[in-house]
Amino acid sequence: MVSLGPMQRSDAAAHARRVAETQSKAAAALGGVPEELWRLRVEYAELGRLAMLSHLDVLRFLERVVRRAGLPYAISHGFSPRMRISYGAALPVGIGGLHEIFDVLLTRRVPEEKALEALSGATVFDMPMLACEYLDRRAPAASVAFPFSTYEVELSGPVKELVLPDKIRIARGGKGRKKKPDRVLDPRDFLVGEIRARGAVLRFTLEAKPTGSLRPDVLVRKMIEGRDLQILSFIRTQAAPAPPR
Amino acid sequence: MIPSTDLWPRLRPLLDRAEKPVRYIDHELGSVHRDPQAPRTDTSFAMVYPDTYELGQANQAIRILVNAVNAEEGLWAERAFLPAADFADEMRAAGLELFSLESCAPLREFDVVGITLPHELAASNVLEVLDLAGIPLRAEDRGPEDPFVVGGGPCTFNPEPYALFFDCIGIGEGEISIVEEVRAVGRGRAAGRTRERILEDLADIEGCYVPRLYAPVPAEEVRETGALVRPTNPHAAPVVRRRVYEGFAESSGWEPCVVPFADLVHDRLSVEILRGCTRGCRFCQAGMMYRPVRERSADNIVESVERGLAETGYDEVSLTSLSSTDHSQIREILTRLNVALAGRGIRVSIPSQRLDSFGVDMAQLVAGEKRGSLTFAPEAGTQRLRDVINKNVTEEDLFGALTAAFEQGWRRVKLYFMLGLPTETDEDVKGIASLVQRAFEHCRRIVPPNERGRVTFGVSCALFVPKAQTPFQWCGQIPPEEARRRVTLLRNSVHYRSVTVNWHDPATSFVEAVMSRAGREGALLVEEAFRRGARFDAWTELFREDAWRGAAEALGIDVEAVAQREFDLDEVLPWQHISCGVRLPYLRAEYRRAVAEQTTPDCSFGICTGCGLCPDLGVEVQTQEERRG
Repeated sequence: MVSLGPMQRSDAAAHARRVAETQSKAAAALGGVPEELWRLRVEYAELGRLAMLSHLDVLRFLERVVRRAGLPYAISHGFSPRMRISYGAALPVGIGGLHEIFDVLLTRRVPEEKALEALSGATVFDMPMLACEYLDRRAPAASVAFPFSTYEVELSGPVKELVLPDKIRIARGGKGRKKKPDRVLDPRDFLVGEIRARGAVLRFTLEAKPTGSLRPDVLVRKMIEGRDLQILSFIRTQAAPAPPR
Repeated sequence: MIPSTDLWPRLRPLLDRAEKPVRYIDHELGSVHRDPQAPRTDTSFAMVYPDTYELGQANQAIRILVNAVNAEEGLWAERAFLPAADFADEMRAAGLELFSLESCAPLREFDVVGITLPHELAASNVLEVLDLAGIPLRAEDRGPEDPFVVGGGPCTFNPEPYALFFDCIGIGEGEISIVEEVRAVGRGRAAGRTRERILEDLADIEGCYVPRLYAPVPAEEVRETGALVRPTNPHAAPVVRRRVYEGFAESSGWEPCVVPFADLVHDRLSVEILRGCTRGCRFCQAGMMYRPVRERSADNIVESVERGLAETGYDEVSLTSLSSTDHSQIREILTRLNVALAGRGIRVSIPSQRLDSFGVDMAQLVAGEKRGSLTFAPEAGTQRLRDVINKNVTEEDLFGALTAAFEQGWRRVKLYFMLGLPTETDEDVKGIASLVQRAFEHCRRIVPPNERGRVTFGVSCALFVPKAQTPFQWCGQIPPEEARRRVTLLRNSVHYRSVTVNWHDPATSFVEAVMSRAGREGALLVEEAFRRGARFDAWTELFREDAWRGAAEALGIDVEAVAQREFDLDEVLPWQHISCGVRLPYLRAEYRRAVAEQTTPDCSFGICTGCGLCPDLGVEVQTQEERRG
């Protein structure tokens, strides 16, 4: 797996305070013994027709994989106990992924190979569990760890002279008075490098920024608008903490 | 024969336009796929729930019947659901027929297509299923290549409004009979028997009603015959009696199930802890349909829950039945489960509690559910009316249950009532308001002052729909205008803002009543309504009252009379050729006791009430321990 960069000092301090708070809640609940938890990062793929699952469908599925695997997952304390699991950046409906991640907190340190074996036995064919590793609990959250996503899109025909639009208008939700104004994005703010085209296949990298992201399917649909082209497959081939070389 | 066409290549491009492609992609955990090397001679069965995936996938009948058929050598079962209305139109435009999930095969290529009839508003969707599948709507129009369409489920207890569309209708519990039906078709086809001969084979199966082997009885002979339709073939029985699954109690509570990717209405592990309820509420069809009470053991249930959670990974398990708190071992079961599941963040839930069996101990045992609202169904607002309907709960029971619940931390309550029950007066309607408000005040008094604002009561009112095979089957439904007047009266009698009153649109309840009480003309009605655009009638935004009205007018059917007319007690009813096992004189006696405001006890608590079912069907009540009231 790709190695992770260091957190900012102030973030680390804030994070450590939060960790300490959780520990003392746990301590109170358990009668004075702080919980030692291990953070397991799991890499998986979303393939074939399962690319059509929504992000929420996938989250629901992953939580159940962890349960079926019998891993000793930690639960939050309080009124409504939930599994302590967190997820990587969302994949829109229709886009698969080769190296997706989720993190789960465990109450016991299960050896990585055993954890992977258990998870593999609990999943379905098109959502294989690929790798497991333990992370420092203060490492960046799964959802923000890899802001640079590279995509590969196969279209129904060769791509000649695809023009990158200057502006993409994104309609947002709400009706009547509550309708949020459309956002206008410049794809160049999010693209890292050029869009590479070979035959019917496009490849490009987008950066997720703190101020927002450009959805890859919105970009591609805008580019093929008006042309007689369909998307045959769409996959995130890589997610990285830094721009790929 | 196993279907040979794979529609996936044609479906896949359409999915880009679907609102929720997850409904159609299958491949869920627990879905069972055929080995392509296996022989293609297996008899194939498609089990259909006539609504979308989200509503149908959790349905118990689909799960049980698919499992039952797949467990058999030489038989093969898959699931199918209706696409959402706009996707159905896309499919029609693309010429794509309705397909099964697992192998994406056209329903038309299966040997048998089973459609469950969960409620009366599903009728037009049944026709949508057949139409989308390219199967002739009427059984009489089907040829040797068309599948056999079989039905089952609650609406089969008056099957006449569906009789034109089904080759065979299985009455009662289908675990065993569905296998027999599918085998009969398989054997018949393999031996080259004609469609007519196979229909006779189906009619030979106990509990199977084959409408084409019956004809209407001329008016002057109805009284003597005792039915409105009679057999025209020696294989057909004059009265078709329901099947009882006698092996229920011993069978495992773990039913292998599909774990959907999609967000379903109730997505959790379901373990059926008992079947049947003999409290004897007189409006209740389920109480008549599923007698006698049969309980699974606590060991069976606890093991099934453990096994089910390990196999599925669900974070919630529901102990389902008609009346789960009546299980003689419910306290032991909940205690053992609370211990076994501690620290895993898993919730145990029980559908609607019985007011008279919900005390302090139950409140403590189901404490995990505090987040939501607690549901009770008093059904009527005054003791007089509760006695009429034989809902044997008192105000004390309600207040006791609420006290127990609120002391354990609940703050939200949902209470179900019915309007339009037989003998109901305005006093009874105002009685609902009075009861609910006094209960609300009581709850506010017992919670700490700073939490009083959190106490909310929801009152949900349904319009009474008379159902076949119940003591109230002779009663009519009140007209929609009268229903509206009573709801207004109720609303005006409720003065607290934290008590909200919800009610069902009388227009859909009216159609339910028509489909519940009609004879064969009901089938003509739904067919014409479908032609005029009726489908997804249970979805408020899609219900087409004009389609139903137009159909009634065009056919000259007085639908008001069908829904609202009182039948004479000695009149021959449109469903008299179907028996739920309970003797007709018993139902009449129960009706008379209702009018006299007399109650009848629950036979699973010890005393037989003489309904006749056990001796006639050779079955008996099976409780694990003695039930104590």
